[in-house]
Amino acid sequence: MASRFWTQGGDSETEEEESDYEQEDNEVPVEDINKAAKSKYLQGSDTESDDEDGQKRVVKSVKDKRFEEMTATIDQMKNAMKINDWVSLQESFDKINKQLEKVMRVNESDRVPNVYIKALVMLEDFLNQALANKEAKKKMSSSNAKALNSMKQKLKKNNKQYEEMINKYRENPEVEEEEDGDDDDEDGEDEDSEFEEDPSKLGMESDAEEDEDKEAGEDDANETGPGWEKMMSKKDKLMDKQFKDPSQITWDTVNKKFKEIVAARGRKGTGRIELVEQLTFLTRVAKTPAQKLEILFSVVSAQFDVNPSLNTHMPINVWKKCVQNLLTILDILTQYTNIVVDDMVEPDENETQKGTDYNGAIRIWGNLVAFLERIDVEFFKSLQVIDPHTREYIERLRDEPTLAVLSQNVQEYLERAGDNKGAAKVALKRVELIYYKPQEVYDAMRKLAEQNEGGEGEADGEPKAVEESRAPPSFVATPEIVPRKSTFPESSRTLMDILVSLIYRSGDERTKARAMLCDIYHHALLDEFSTSRDLLLMSHLQDSIQHMDISTQILFNRAMAQLGLSAFRVGLIAEGHGCLSELYSAGRVKELLAQGVSQSRFHEKTPEQERMERRRQMPYHMHINLELLEAVHLICAMLLEVPNMAANSHDAKRKVISKTFRRLLEVSERQTFTGPPENVRDHVMAATRALRQGDYQKAFDVINSLDIWRLLRNKDSVLEMLRAKIKEEALRTYLFTYSSSYDSLSLDQLAKMFDLSDKQTHSIVSKMMITEELHASWDQPTRCMVFHDVEHTRLQALAFHLTEKLTVLAESNERAQESRIGGGGLENLPLRRRDGQDYAAAAASGGTARWQDLSFSQGRHGTGGGRTGYNAGGRTYSGQAGGFSRDRTGQSRGVGRTYQTGSAARASQMDGSTRMVSLNRGAYA
Amino acid sequence: MANYDLTPRIAPNLDRHLVFPLLEFLQERQLYPDQDILRAKLELLNQTNMVDYAMDIHRAFYHTEDVPQDMVDRRAEVVARLKALEEGASPLVNFLQNEKAYQELRAEKQYNLQMLNERYQIGPEQIEALYQYAKFQFECGNYSGAADYLYLYRTLCTNSERSLSALWGKLAAEILMQNWDIALEELNRVKEIIDSKSFSSPLNQVQNRIWLMHWSLFIFFNHDNGRTQIIDLFNQDKYLNAIQTSAPHLLRYLATAFVVNKRRRPQFKDFIKVIQQEQYSYEDPITEFLACVYVKYDFDAAQQKMRECEEVILNDPFLGKRAEEGNFASVPLRDEFLENARLFIFETYCRIHQRIDMGVLAEKLNLNYEEAERWIVNLIRTSKLDAKIDSKTGTVLMEPNQPNVYEQLIDHTKALSGRTYKLVSQLLEHAQTQQAAR
Repeated sequence: MASRFWTQGGDSETEEEESDYEQEDNEVPVEDINKAAKSKYLQGSDTESDDEDGQKRVVKSVKDKRFEEMTATIDQMKNAMKINDWVSLQESFDKINKQLEKVMRVNESDRVPNVYIKALVMLEDFLNQALANKEAKKKMSSSNAKALNSMKQKLKKNNKQYEEMINKYRENPEVEEEEDGDDDDEDGEDEDSEFEEDPSKLGMESDAEEDEDKEAGEDDANETGPGWEKMMSKKDKLMDKQFKDPSQITWDTVNKKFKEIVAARGRKGTGRIELVEQLTFLTRVAKTPAQKLEILFSVVSAQFDVNPSLNTHMPINVWKKCVQNLLTILDILTQYTNIVVDDMVEPDENETQKGTDYNGAIRIWGNLVAFLERIDVEFFKSLQVIDPHTREYIERLRDEPTLAVLSQNVQEYLERAGDNKGAAKVALKRVELIYYKPQEVYDAMRKLAEQNEGGEGEADGEPKAVEESRAPPSFVATPEIVPRKSTFPESSRTLMDILVSLIYRSGDERTKARAMLCDIYHHALLDEFSTSRDLLLMSHLQDSIQHMDISTQILFNRAMAQLGLSAFRVGLIAEGHGCLSELYSAGRVKELLAQGVSQSRFHEKTPEQERMERRRQMPYHMHINLELLEAVHLICAMLLEVPNMAANSHDAKRKVISKTFRRLLEVSERQTFTGPPENVRDHVMAATRALRQGDYQKAFDVINSLDIWRLLRNKDSVLEMLRAKIKEEALRTYLFTYSSSYDSLSLDQLAKMFDLSDKQTHSIVSKMMITEELHASWDQPTRCMVFHDVEHTRLQALAFHLTEKLTVLAESNERAQESRIGGGGLENLPLRRRDGQDYAAAAASGGTARWQDLSFSQGRHGTGGGRTGYNAGGRTYSGQAGGFSRDRTGQSRGVGRTYQTGSAARASQMDGSTRMVSLNRGAYA
Repeated sequence: MANYDLTPRIAPNLDRHLVFPLLEFLQERQLYPDQDILRAKLELLNQTNMVDYAMDIHRAFYHTEDVPQDMVDRRAEVVARLKALEEGASPLVNFLQNEKAYQELRAEKQYNLQMLNERYQIGPEQIEALYQYAKFQFECGNYSGAADYLYLYRTLCTNSERSLSALWGKLAAEILMQNWDIALEELNRVKEIIDSKSFSSPLNQVQNRIWLMHWSLFIFFNHDNGRTQIIDLFNQDKYLNAIQTSAPHLLRYLATAFVVNKRRRPQFKDFIKVIQQEQYSYEDPITEFLACVYVKYDFDAAQQKMRECEEVILNDPFLGKRAEEGNFASVPLRDEFLENARLFIFETYCRIHQRIDMGVLAEKLNLNYEEAERWIVNLIRTSKLDAKIDSKTGTVLMEPNQPNVYEQLIDHTKALSGRTYKLVSQLLEHAQTQQAAR
């Protein structure tokens, strides 16, 4: 019982707190024992390399036996981990806990063996990894997943007891590692440091491993899998040892080794980073440039493999190395022009054997364009993921010139090689790097690129030197031929022009479309509205954009937004509104521009959708300022809608220019109290209220107080333009609203009222007269405008109403008849009906038509395309419609009476039209 | 005034030979120093075979009697080549000049070729030689000969590409000979081919259209009916697009044609829109004038522009053509343009006024008081204007032209009865046929 009591004290598996005092008591002896045990074990493991295993086995003590059992279980666990089998892992875990009990008892200690702790750590890591990898988790079978969950809980509970020791282990795992003499393949990152150090050391290590592997193989039948793996990797290392002696290296050995490593790629248990390192090593010992190139290609693709997930980005240091590798590739390609890179032809096995003196073309498999695109994607992803408000983001942005350099070099190489299609693709990547940058930002980037030259050279040089010294010197030295500094022209426009024209010449459809959109965006950014509008109309992109991929659609939306902003800056309000209204019509601006995810109340997104969306997001530095965009949109809408509402005050629903704006206005009008404006929307609403009363000054002040204007480069001129526009629209609104109250108005007074010049006022009013928005005319000698009373009397209005109804009736009769007896005979019918439909369509176009249809639909046909009818949808119609609207005003109530008077009118009409003329003339007189 | 000169923009779209008339005109107008123009002419001639003419110009340019040796050499060379080509083409030329033999040709090309080959041993080589000969003739400045030969060549040619260039050549030759009627025919022929032919690239087609439009300027502003036809041609969608994309300066001519032409109102509105759109890419006083009257309603500016327009027209090789009547030279187009422009201003002005002071009006119209009054009375008499002159206050009173409500009502309902009758008759017809069927 005594011993039992002791063991209980030592058995920390249950409750450690209780045994505190006992531990203290036991401390001295236990430690001794433990030390002894450890040293014994250590000795054992040390001597193992010397002695034969069999010998060892015979003399094993009970203690050792228990211990071995435990290690065996751990190995089993490792196996289970490798195949992701949580059920067996759980079993092993239970088993190891039981074994621990035994070991403790045998050792008579309360100190938990390191092996156990290590296993726990390993388990915990693996568990975390498994939990983090949601996709894999989803794929698990139900029993497996269940086991995983219970394991999670058990481990948590269990690990609490050993927290201290685990932490200690985590702090310096090396000690333990050495003690255990175990090599963990899984743990790639630790491996790296060792691997890079020296091949000779690697050789030694692999010796030690070899024996252990043997032992493991004998121990358990289950071990065969990893055993085989390890043998292989051990062999690798032996090979590496071979390479230690430069004289022995031949093309064959390198090639063989290369094939081996490549074959291991993607296999389970091959560390991705390790693979990269191995290949990097090989590049140094490659015999011919072609071989080096081939290996470098593998290095790059292996580097791409380092990050397998679509959602996360490649580690930044790997990315940088990757860029360097690609530059080296280009160096080689430039130096040896006879090497051809191709991804179509299956190359000859021994193609790379041909040395520098070989004159013919050497074909190497590889695709530079794909690599570059991948690099670009990784860069983009990293910017998506990194928090834009941190320093890290800025640091990351500094890598942009590097990418620009690389793509420039690749493009130049491809152009030299005559691969224009590829060059166009690369050029597109470059375009996408710069198209959103205004000249200032571009200049900043250019300067950064120039500065970088000094700093980066050092930074690069150092590690390179170290690497060189560590490794055997490269057989194929590659001087840096390709420039590491890109040459940016002074103006971003020049660069864009060069790149874009290249793409138009030889790009494929998608590349061209994207380049075109970038071009449009860039022109718009530089305030060249008409140029970018022409580009858009000529390319017919708005017709085909629906069929393109989402990222291109986003680009299109961005270009449209920028186009709208630029139209506004130039003072083209209607055009600006046309560009922006569609973006705002559904209230999903963020989504459309990929600048954030907007929550929808009505349907939940699946996680899948959400992930997709997140992958499409624009990095922060490319964003278009949403507040500015909203302000511009609402102001445009205000300037168009306020006079429009005033003109059609009788039936406001009839012609709506901006539904969004109307809705907002309704909401703000419904408020009982209106507080001081806070956001953009409030400001514009406040301005609208002022404008409707003709108070242009207040309207302008409110809008001027928005602080987004500082984002505009030519803030002052834009605000000046805005002020003029507001005055103009205020004048129009005033005239619409109050013209019925005046018989005449003097020009001077109007001009004074709205602080406009006589000329401007005259021009505005004249325009309104011509388009028959305003029924008035000038009295030139007195400089007055005289209003004509064109309001119809009630009877007249009713008569108009009636005739309209009659027309409808006749038409429906015709239609009914046609449907009964077929369309034969009525030659003039279809034509008339079509007219009617056109009428309806035109009436609808005021509000509901899509903006593309509204303003750009009649874009150019054929190549040149006609710009006629740009903006033809809404406005031209307004005069006509305005005339009609007056006829129909206010008569909605008297429907009953309409019919009564109608019958009389009909009767007289039947008598014949000639009589009616005279009759009416009489009435008029 | 040289800043409104379009010659540099037009010249690249013309044939070498067609540029000469332009340069002659410029020389006459003294817009540029004589030396510059002579140099330009010399450069132009260097690429042609008109060596004699080049020598003349050379003498004028350097004020010498000597001619550089290379020109003399060139002349000899040209003459020699002309001889050689003439020889090559002679069998065919002889055949074609033979009235009797010529009658044997028929409409069918294949038959002709075969016939020629069999009876006269004239094969493709000779036909090709004819083309070369014609071309050379043209380059030497012998346009009438070139035109004849090209016409003959076209009857025998089977290669459509060649045929088109022969047609262009013929057109150029006719223009240079100032046979406007024939040139117009040729023009329409070329146009047909351009519009119907499937070009290798749309760009190519646009380019061809632009050439055609430039060349046509010669014809349209010389032909009697040209001003209507220029609108017909330029205002077609395809051609307007071409103008907008590549040659916005042609808008000047279209605008002028619109102003001078009194009809064409429906198209005119669209054209104003085009001008508005193209403002950023092309502006000259004529388009600006239209913009002032129809977009900005700024009549003072319009008047200003009208004065500038006059200058522009006088200095434009196509618009400023002189008509000599005895010893009195006038530019008919200018007068016409000004008259119409005045009418434009006045018309728009009247539409938005009910009372106008005659003095102001006279000023606006660039006329003196008496003239203005006469002008207005004339308008009223020809019932172009619904107004009265109040001579006591010196004002013009516009009659309000509000549409009569009753007339509107009648308009709305006029068609209804007819439609109803038709409906009924059709119904009856239908019923009868059905009964008959039973």
